[in-house]
Amino acid sequence: MNQLNNGFTLFLSLLVEAMPFLLLGVLLSSLLLFFVDERKLVEKMPKNPLLGALVGSMIGFLFPVCECGNVPVARRFLIQGVPTPVAIGFLLGAPTINPVVIWSTWTAFRDQPEIVVLRVVFSLAIATIIGYVFSFQKDLNPIVQPAIARYMKFNPPAPPETKRRGKPYQEQEAMVPNILQSGTYILGGKAGIPLRIDANFVPPTSNSTSNKPLADKLRLVVDNSIQEFRELGGIMVIGSAIAAAIQILAPRELILSLGAGPITSIVVMLILAVVVSICSTVDSFFALSFASTFSSGSLLAFLVFGPMIDIKGIGLMLSIFKPKTVFYLFALAAQLTFVFTLFLNLHVL
Amino acid sequence: MTNKNPKSKIRNLLLPWLDAIAITAWGVLMLRYWLTNKLNLLIHPNYIWFVVLTGISLIIIGFLKMQELWQRRRRDVTSNSPHISLFPPGWGSALLLTTAILGFIITPQVFASDKALQRGVTADLLGSTRVKPQAFRATVRPEERSLVDWVRTVNVYPEPDTYTGQKVKVQGFVIHPADLGKEYLFLARFVLTCCAADAYPVGLPVKLQDNQERYSADSWLEVEGQMVTENLAGKRQLTIAATSFKKIPQPENPYSY
Repeated sequence: MNQLNNGFTLFLSLLVEAMPFLLLGVLLSSLLLFFVDERKLVEKMPKNPLLGALVGSMIGFLFPVCECGNVPVARRFLIQGVPTPVAIGFLLGAPTINPVVIWSTWTAFRDQPEIVVLRVVFSLAIATIIGYVFSFQKDLNPIVQPAIARYMKFNPPAPPETKRRGKPYQEQEAMVPNILQSGTYILGGKAGIPLRIDANFVPPTSNSTSNKPLADKLRLVVDNSIQEFRELGGIMVIGSAIAAAIQILAPRELILSLGAGPITSIVVMLILAVVVSICSTVDSFFALSFASTFSSGSLLAFLVFGPMIDIKGIGLMLSIFKPKTVFYLFALAAQLTFVFTLFLNLHVL
Repeated sequence: MTNKNPKSKIRNLLLPWLDAIAITAWGVLMLRYWLTNKLNLLIHPNYIWFVVLTGISLIIIGFLKMQELWQRRRRDVTSNSPHISLFPPGWGSALLLTTAILGFIITPQVFASDKALQRGVTADLLGSTRVKPQAFRATVRPEERSLVDWVRTVNVYPEPDTYTGQKVKVQGFVIHPADLGKEYLFLARFVLTCCAADAYPVGLPVKLQDNQERYSADSWLEVEGQMVTENLAGKRQLTIAATSFKKIPQPENPYSY
C-alpha cells in the first residue's frame, strides 16, 4: 500500500512538474503556427545540403513544436519545395533543439549540465548528418507517400503569390488518402469545412487566416492548444505512469544491473524511447526518474532518440514518407545515437 | 466531417465539454496543491510559481472553452476536427480528467525510509556523489551545519578524521539499513533537485550508546553529539556519536534542496 502511494506521489510529481512545460510548448507552437509566415521562412532556406540540414534542424528555435507538431510542419515544408535536407533536419532536430525543451531539460538536470549541452549537440549532429544523407536523394518520388508526390507533381512549388486554393486543389483532395487529411492545425472546432479543405496543404498563415480578426485567430489558437494539450497530455499521463511503475515494481537488482552496463543501459533506454512516446518538452522528467540508476550515456540516448522517433511519431511520419524511408530514418537515428552515447559511456563519463 | 448518426452527434456535443472540464480540473488541482502546501512534496520550490501560473492559465483556457461551448450550444456543432491522434477521440481528456480526480482523492505522501532503502541508501552508505557543494561556507560553525551540509562537506573533503571531535546538531528521519549493526541508525533526509521523481536520500550513520532508546524507522529526530570515525560495512565512515536525541515533528517541508 505504501509502495502504491509512493508510486502515485512519484507519478503526480512528474505530471505536476511537466504540465507547465507542456502547456508552454503547446501555447507557443499554436501561436507561432498562426502568426509566423512560414513561406517567408521557406524562401530563405539555404540550398547547400549540409548547411541546409544544419539550418533546418535549428528552425525549432522559431517553431518550438514538439514531435507531434513538427511532422505536419515538415510536410508543409516539403510540399512548399523546401530542400529535403532542410525538411529532414527540421523533422529530427526541431523537437529537441528549441527553447522550451532546452529549458525543461535544464530544469530536470540542473546538477548535470553536461546532459543538457550534450543533448543539444548530439541531436543537432544527428539531425544534420541524416539530413545531409537524404540530400543525395534528388528525386523525392521514391521516398514520399504517393499522394504527396502527386501533389508536388501537379502543384510544383511556386512563388507564394500564385499559391492559392482553388478548384484544381479541391479535386486533388479526393486523391489524398485519409491519413493526410488529419494532422492539420487550423481545424479548430468552428473552422468548418471550407477551412478544413484549405488547411490541409496551405499554411495557416496564408489567406485563410490572415484576414481574420484577431479575436478569431486567438480562438483558433486556444482551440488548437486544447487539442494538442489533451493529446500530448494523455500520452504524458501514460508515460509518467510507466516511469512510476518501473521504479516501484521492477526489481531493484534488475534495474541496477541493466542500468550500470554501458551497452545494456543504452539499449534499454533506446527501447524505452521508442515505446514511451512521451513528448519532448517533458521527456527529461521521465529520464530524470532513472538518473540515479542508469548511465548518463543511456539517459542521453533516451533524450536524443526519443524525440526523433517513437511509436506515435512513426504513425505520423508515415503520413509523409513511405515505410522504407521511415525505416531508414529510424535505423540511422538509432545507430548514430547508439554510437555517440556508447562513446560517451566508455570514454568520457 | 459532420456525422449523421446520432451517437456520434452526442459524442461531438460532449467531447468538447470533456476537454474543457479536464483542463479546468488540472488547473484547480494545481492551485489546490499550492494552497494546501502540498507542492513542496512534489516539486522543487523554484518551480512553484511556474506551476501556479500554469494552474491559472489552465483554468482560464478551460473557462474560455466552456463559455464558447455554452454560447453555441444551440447551433449545429461542427465536428470536433480531425487532428493527428494516437487515441480514439476523448481518450486524452478522459485520462487527464481521471488522473486529476485521483489527485483530488489521494494525498501525495512524504517519502520515508522504505523509499530511501529502495533508492539505495545502503549502496553507497555515505558519499552520494550526486550531492555537489553549492557554496562553501567554511566559516560556519560545525554545530550549525544541517545534515545535508555535512554530507556536502564530506563529499568535498572525505577524510573522516578531519572532523573528529566536531560538534554536531542535525535533524533527519531514521532508517535502519540491513548492513548497519544494532548499535547504529542512519539519519537521513531526502534531497530534491527538480521533483519527487529524483528525490534521493543522503545522511550519516549515528552511533547509539547502550542506554539509548532504539527509535523506530521514519521517526524524526534532532541528534546532538560529536563526530567520530567508525568502521562500517568495511569502510571508514564519518559517524555521529550521539549524546542526546530529541523527537521532533516531521518538518513542514521535509525535503532539502
